[in-house]
Amino acid sequence: MSAVTRPVPNGASGSAPGSAPSSALLEVTDLTVEFRTPGGPVRAVDRLSYRVEAGRTLAIVGESGSGKSVSSLAVLGLLPDTARVTHGSVRLAGTDLLGLSRKEHRARCGDQVAMVFQDALAALNPVHTVGYQLTEALRGRRGMSRADARKRAVELLDLVKVPNARARVKEYPHQFSGGMRQRVMIASALAMDPDVLIADEPTTALDVTVQAQVLRLLAEIQAERQMGLVLITHDLGVVAGVADDVTVMYAGTAVEQAPVAPVYTTPAHPYTRALLRSIPSASGAGRLSVIPGRPPSPGAMPAGCPFHPRCDAVRDVCRTDVPPAAVPAEDRMSACHFAADIMAGREPAPDDKDTGGHDD
Amino acid sequence: MNDAATPTPTGRPAGTPSHPLGDAWRTLRRRPDTIIATVVLLVFAVMAAFPRLFTTTSPRTCPIREARTDPQGWGGEHPLGTDSLGCDVLATMVHGVRPSLLLALVVVGVSLAIGVTLGLLAGYYLGWVDYLVSRTVEVFLVIPLLLAALLVLSLFKGIDLGAGTFDVILLPAVVLILFGWMPYARYVRASTLEAKNLDYVTAARSLGASDLRIMVRHVLPNAIGTVTALLPTSVAGVISAEAVLSFLGIGVRPPATSWGIQIEQGSQWVLGGAPHILLAPLICLVATVLALVVLGDALRDALDPRLTA
Amino acid sequence: MGRYILRRVLQAVGTLLLVMLLLHLLTTVAIQLNGNPAQAFFGDKVPTPAQVAAVEQRFNLDDPCFDQVGNPCLGPFVERLGQYAQGDFGTNLRGREVSDIVATAAPNTIRLFCVVLVTWLALGMVLGSVAARWRGSPSDHGIRLTSVLIDAFPVFVLLIVYRYVVAVPLNGWAERTFGENSWPPYWFKPSFDPEHPWATVLVPGILLGLAGSAAFIRLVRAGQLESYQGDHVRTARSKGLGERHVVVHHVVRNSSVPVVTAVGLTFTEALGGAVITEGLMNIYGMGGVLWGAVRDDDVGLVLGIVTLLAAVTVVVMIVVDIAYALLDPRIRYE
Repeated sequence: MSAVTRPVPNGASGSAPGSAPSSALLEVTDLTVEFRTPGGPVRAVDRLSYRVEAGRTLAIVGESGSGKSVSSLAVLGLLPDTARVTHGSVRLAGTDLLGLSRKEHRARCGDQVAMVFQDALAALNPVHTVGYQLTEALRGRRGMSRADARKRAVELLDLVKVPNARARVKEYPHQFSGGMRQRVMIASALAMDPDVLIADEPTTALDVTVQAQVLRLLAEIQAERQMGLVLITHDLGVVAGVADDVTVMYAGTAVEQAPVAPVYTTPAHPYTRALLRSIPSASGAGRLSVIPGRPPSPGAMPAGCPFHPRCDAVRDVCRTDVPPAAVPAEDRMSACHFAADIMAGREPAPDDKDTGGHDD
Repeated sequence: MNDAATPTPTGRPAGTPSHPLGDAWRTLRRRPDTIIATVVLLVFAVMAAFPRLFTTTSPRTCPIREARTDPQGWGGEHPLGTDSLGCDVLATMVHGVRPSLLLALVVVGVSLAIGVTLGLLAGYYLGWVDYLVSRTVEVFLVIPLLLAALLVLSLFKGIDLGAGTFDVILLPAVVLILFGWMPYARYVRASTLEAKNLDYVTAARSLGASDLRIMVRHVLPNAIGTVTALLPTSVAGVISAEAVLSFLGIGVRPPATSWGIQIEQGSQWVLGGAPHILLAPLICLVATVLALVVLGDALRDALDPRLTA
Repeated sequence: MGRYILRRVLQAVGTLLLVMLLLHLLTTVAIQLNGNPAQAFFGDKVPTPAQVAAVEQRFNLDDPCFDQVGNPCLGPFVERLGQYAQGDFGTNLRGREVSDIVATAAPNTIRLFCVVLVTWLALGMVLGSVAARWRGSPSDHGIRLTSVLIDAFPVFVLLIVYRYVVAVPLNGWAERTFGENSWPPYWFKPSFDPEHPWATVLVPGILLGLAGSAAFIRLVRAGQLESYQGDHVRTARSKGLGERHVVVHHVVRNSSVPVVTAVGLTFTEALGGAVITEGLMNIYGMGGVLWGAVRDDDVGLVLGIVTLLAAVTVVVMIVVDIAYALLDPRIRYE
């Protein structure tokens, strides 16, 4: 292979052109996570790299099983016992979290990086009051007094716009509606003023109208506090209005990374292109297309490009060679043999001996 | 141990070829502890069915001058010695298996049938059926099994029922069934409630399947797993309860013998120099119960993989 | 919450009435089939009809319905309920008030249950928590093997072996080693000593608790394993809380709900166990009295004690339900 390096994070920087690499709040490099299974180790995340800076939002988009949630659990050191990080680093404000002891790693959670989980009903403890859960960490870790904690809990609920916060801190999670519960979840992640917030499908379980409200709330809070936000979603449709950068994941790897606008206009990977085509448009014009087939199971990865069995622009080379990370334009990365062609809206040349002009 | 050496199944298919049980059976076959437990139980089952294979002495020939003979080992006249009345310990023990095992099987079988039927009806129809069953369960649960047995058996102590195989266990069986069916009803009711709302049950109903058919074909297989895992332990429970009742003289009726009666007699002579009278039946009791518990534990594992290590 | 408790209490009173009716019906059928238990009062002596009549009257057995098979005898039942309401639970064959017997016997049973409860919780919580925390480790497998072995030795067997095989030599050894008036010999006394109720109840209580602890260990383990896998535990960890805080407030706290229910269910079983324990170890408690009454054919006493113990069970179940509601807000606000 020719001199193609992975552009993110040290090559062409993933986002915010011109900024020095050290300004990233969270910088994930070559993160690889493997699960122990009876059939041998299985790779759930494969050399994932991304960076998030203060005040910016990175959306990680992918189908379920693409490794997007596992990668964020790895960042917080919350992987299940059967999984471990085999390679890579997670630098939070310059420190490699994976090099820390478990205890030190845990101490940075909540404080510097916090997480909003998907299913708030399950993620909140049913036997403790909402107020307790909001300020549990403040009381336990910062020694906040009971009275201050109560005050802070009310503030937090106000912050996420839960009406009648003063009364509701005494209630239990099951007494909240789905949308309100998700707001509580967000408030509890914000309790210790984290620098980076990872939101794992924060709106999946909600009605469409409530989804929009919650996303808007997240965006507002993020802008106000200049946090770095990692928004994990399977829905490319919700990303457009909120994110600054997008990482599209497929089968454990990042297949495309780019600022948000060009992803929509000129996707550089056939998978991204297919995802965009499957978003229903308001005009309702044309047939909604679906991506044929299913994502490969991590235990049975196809040879070559993992997406080739479902790709509509597949060529011979895709079946044999893993595509290197191409840089079809500044600030962009695409793991496709024909990234430049796809981005330009051309179909790749029909099969011949040439692997395609993707070098530069 | 080889699979080929596996004795014929105790976890009989029971006419329900549902998958969980099949899987469980395959898992069980591979564990040496369950195989040993099964062998132990088979030995006792054979002992119950054909006591003459193990001893030719009658448990009722008790020459008092031979009382408390020490064990003479295999081949002697009294391999395990004699008890305080001169009866052969081995013969008494071997003949004591049948009432205990029969009682346990009858009690568990009938309780299971009652519990499954009531639980299924209550969970399926809800409404007043459920109210009736649930309240009945509650009432019977308030009286601990052993207390109920003590009360009823002492109440009916004087009634003569005869000396047939079933007659000697009739009273304890009735009492233990009367106060032992509730756990099954509760488990089956709970899993019926769960299964009733599953999509395929709704689908079957919308296709016009009869209630009975839905209950037997769709709801019951769902409940059978948890209940099956209970069975060996329940059998063990009945066997030890019988021992207690017999110890008190209100269990299996004389002239039948049982381990409980033997333990009661033996306990007097441990320090009097004849511990074998106690130890022989006690070891058998523990072996049976242990085998059943091991089997129950393995079944629980196989049927409820969530809880396994 | 108040309404919940009230509803449970009313329900429990109903249950208790039904239980008494059930016991009454059983007794009635037995008397009708079996002949009059007043006979037992006279043992082997042959009483005159006048004597029998007097005894029948004393035990409320003079109603003619007791001679008619199939008659539910509701009249005497109502009469008996009235007596129960006044605290009169009848007398034993020797004329001693059941309530009087219970007053002296109950404290020993309570002592026994204290020991049992401590044993349950100590063994169940500690071993169950360890097994869940280090799931799949050698200690987990060891604990699991222990719980199977515990199950294989019913209380009855444990106590027989203890009393007839272990206790006497142990007692002798303790007397030789620690002197006759020290504590250890009392711990291993093969029978109860009213002078030293706690010391002599200790070992039987531990054995009874041990026998019931297997179910607890399994339950605590299962409950905590479920909690460990729960999303809310992951959330707590993501807040950077220390592992000890997470285990106490999110794992143990959440798994306490099923454990409390189990205490309630195991209680009835333990009552049965207490009868065996007290009977075998000659402890003068409710169970011991019951054991003795069964041996002496004192049906009136058996009935009185079983009724009382059923009432206690009902109360325990209410307490468990209330504790359950206190522990799980989802129940409380239903």
